[in-house]
Amino acid sequence: MKRTSLGLALGLGFLALAAAGAGAALAAAAQPAPRLLYSESQAAEGARVYGMRCAMCHGRQLEGTLETPALTGKFVANWAGRPVGDLYDYLGRAMPQFAPGSLPPEEDAKVIAYILKANGYRPGGAPLPADSAALGRIDLPAPGAP
Amino acid sequence: MSDAYSSGRPSSPGRDGMALLGRRTMLKGGSGAALLAGLQACAPAPAALVSAPPPTPREPGKRPLLHPMRGTLDQLIDVKCCIRPLRAAGPNLAAEIIGNALVVHNYGHGGSGWSLSWGSAEVAVGKALSVLPREIAVVGCGIIGLTTAVVAQRAGLRVTIYARDMIQRSRSFRASGSFTPDSRVALTEPAGPAFGDLWETMARLSWKTFRTYLGLPGNPVEFHDSYGLSDTPIEKRHYPPDPAITDSYATKGVPVQNSEFMHLSDRIKDIVPQAVDVPAEENPFALPYAQRSSQMHFNFASYAHTLLSEFFAGGGRFVNRDFHSPAEYGQLAEKVVINCTGYAARDLWRDRTIIPVRGQTGWLVPQPDANYGVRYKNVSMLSKGDGVVVQNNNPDIGEMLGVGDSMELPDRSGIEEGLRIMAPALVLKGA
Ligand SMILES: Cc1cc2nc3c(=O)[nH]c(=O)nc-3n(C[C@H](O)[C@H](O)[C@H](O)COP(=O)(O)OP(=O)(O)OC[C@H]3O[C@@H](n4cnc5c(N)ncnc54)[C@H](O)[C@@H]3O)c2cc1C
Repeated sequence: MKRTSLGLALGLGFLALAAAGAGAALAAAAQPAPRLLYSESQAAEGARVYGMRCAMCHGRQLEGTLETPALTGKFVANWAGRPVGDLYDYLGRAMPQFAPGSLPPEEDAKVIAYILKANGYRPGGAPLPADSAALGRIDLPAPGAP
Repeated sequence: MSDAYSSGRPSSPGRDGMALLGRRTMLKGGSGAALLAGLQACAPAPAALVSAPPPTPREPGKRPLLHPMRGTLDQLIDVKCCIRPLRAAGPNLAAEIIGNALVVHNYGHGGSGWSLSWGSAEVAVGKALSVLPREIAVVGCGIIGLTTAVVAQRAGLRVTIYARDMIQRSRSFRASGSFTPDSRVALTEPAGPAFGDLWETMARLSWKTFRTYLGLPGNPVEFHDSYGLSDTPIEKRHYPPDPAITDSYATKGVPVQNSEFMHLSDRIKDIVPQAVDVPAEENPFALPYAQRSSQMHFNFASYAHTLLSEFFAGGGRFVNRDFHSPAEYGQLAEKVVINCTGYAARDLWRDRTIIPVRGQTGWLVPQPDANYGVRYKNVSMLSKGDGVVVQNNNPDIGEMLGVGDSMELPDRSGIEEGLRIMAPALVLKGA
């Protein structure tokens, strides 16, 4: 199972320090990169789910608190450069913390779509699949990467 | 998911892995107590001593002069919620190989993480030293990780701490912070009788080490009188097993009644002050019955500052990093890693034996003049350097309170209720 790198692991806040290595670029040329896609409507539904199941801890604006991580800024730096599937799986088994794994997979995907949108990733037609294996093949680019 | 997770446990380790594996059996089976021998940490001499506030004068037959403690709502400045990482078998101090790194665990201290921090670090660092490293990594910078890092430095190692948060933002800063070494630390059956000896060694070593911080600038560790007050004569509460309850940890995976918790504090009552009855003429409170004990507590801000200062002065390095799988431990430059991730180990290391036990504290504006603690009914207040900590616990379920609850949002109303319950107990005689 080969993953393709769309961005660099260093998404520092909203500053993209993108400079894809030659090896990664070659690999991408040999095999078209699966694109990170989500739809506007999916993100909108995600916002609704987020409001009900996540906002109580992570904040209405995803701003977090001293104790609960924000879902912008450092959060993206933390997950960028690794498969979106990691984030999807983490959500699926560990969140919401008070009832881990209680969201249906489609809702996890919706919440991720919403988080992507809130972090400046552009929507692209097809919804993000609620499919761990498929998402495991797509790396999360730095938010400012093309 | 996480292919990385499973691939992090090689079926055929490389040469380094083999060398490490050779020690694995010993590390797993090795008694922590034995490893502790000869590893006494020695604290550096304090640069400057400041005197702690003078102890309350206590003459036989006379009431100590106490400054009234304010317990009004306008003083409430913070409510913090936290999850205690309870493991039925006690903290995980086992070692395993990940990639070609030796990972020694040091997590799962329930409601006793602060109290056992030095002794537990001694065990974990002892295991790490057995493969003769010169440098190690510590993952986690709560009270367990930071203490482990300092203990490793004192043993002559170069230490890098990797963590997503420093201690000030860790769960450790949401504890109440008293010496409570047997609070929700293990269950009697699954932990087995051997745990008692290990616990005692860790508790005694911790107690002695904390004493080396008494009287230091900022009072990182302090003693205060703590008064238990009552409208009726005070009797020690017992929680005998309820014969009507047939389920237990063995059938449910979580404790179902209070009697399943392991209580060990009697083993160290020769050094830890026990409660004594306060005769009526010495009782400073308006309520008729009082007991007094001397309680050791930790002032978080000052204690963290003291430990971090020692860590950085000793050449320690802090790297802000979030780990997503155990396999990442094997990719660190350091080939010996001590894992101190607390409750987070439940997901990160898929340790489903960690049972969440929710708890919360309210914090009032600091009242240094009211330098004591009060317990009444189900509520306790203790005056600390960083505020007066308030807890409202349900006395009928004892240690079962919060078991299985991983909701970590604070609930202010519980603290407000606690302050209302406490109000009559704060009244001093003759006030
Ligand atoms: C209400 C309450 C009161 C308490 N009162 C007391 C008391 O009076 N006395 C006492 O002894 N104990 C008390 N406790 C228990 C004590 O708080 C815990 O046992 C202790 O905080 C555990 O410390 P820790 O360092 O293991 O974990 P934590 O404080 O949770 O630290 C974990 C560290 O690991 C890091 N980390 C976690 N996951 C990752 C990751 N994936 N990648 C990178 N870093 C990671 C975190 O950032 C943090 O730095 C209380 C607990 C509660 C809830």
